[in-house]
Amino acid sequence: MDENPATAPLPGNGPLDGDPGLQPERTALAWGRTVLTLIAASAMSLRWLPDQGPFVLAMFGLTIAAGTGIYATQRRRYRRSIEGIRAGHLAPDTTAVFWTAGACVVLGALGIWLVLS
Amino acid sequence: MPSTPPSPSDPDPRRSRFAEKLLPGGTEPDPRFTLANERTFLAWIRTSLALLAGGIAVEAFTTDVFPEPVRRGLAVLLLLLGMLLSAGSAIRWLRVESSLRSNRPLPLPLIGPLLAAGCAVAAAVVIAVVVLA
Repeated sequence: MDENPATAPLPGNGPLDGDPGLQPERTALAWGRTVLTLIAASAMSLRWLPDQGPFVLAMFGLTIAAGTGIYATQRRRYRRSIEGIRAGHLAPDTTAVFWTAGACVVLGALGIWLVLS
Repeated sequence: MPSTPPSPSDPDPRRSRFAEKLLPGGTEPDPRFTLANERTFLAWIRTSLALLAGGIAVEAFTTDVFPEPVRRGLAVLLLLLGMLLSAGSAIRWLRVESSLRSNRPLPLPLIGPLLAAGCAVAAAVVIAVVVLA
């Protein structure tokens, strides 16, 4: 399959996913870090809770929902990457990328609205 | 890192219609390149989240440090930069994925200079406030 010794799957007791670069694991961890950063960023806005209670809670709830969505699909994402590497082709995760970027744009817009209101 | 993707394979039947529309033509690249592109996107998104967190923090926690117009201006600047960078990172992800599919050279990251210029302006504002205060 892959003749390059640096990237060819290890024989025998190789990593679970057959990729010595541990790409599925690194990608899943990168998503996990992103969830943590997303929630930490929106948690900053809880400082406004006394003045803008419902609005801030809605904003925080939105990021919690986005984070939960990413977290709930982690196992599926990891499995999909492993299968993709095994099969030699992997469909790009367009939906996850655009939802995540969209959530960040909305978080920024809500933040600007809070600052200017 | 090796730069030769494996032989082109059949189009993935699991591709969504959304993906078909955004990334038409070409062949699926080496899955490891697709995953690397995804991680790069996530690194950009975390950078933009850091800017968003910074913008929110400036407004929420510096009431006693900066005069109100400066505080608001700085917060809006950081939040705007974070929004632009979030959108820009998705566009960059798409352009890189498209280049990988058609085996073209990777595009230059336009969001790099954007990030540098935005951070420089924000830093200049803070320096000006500190010096003038």
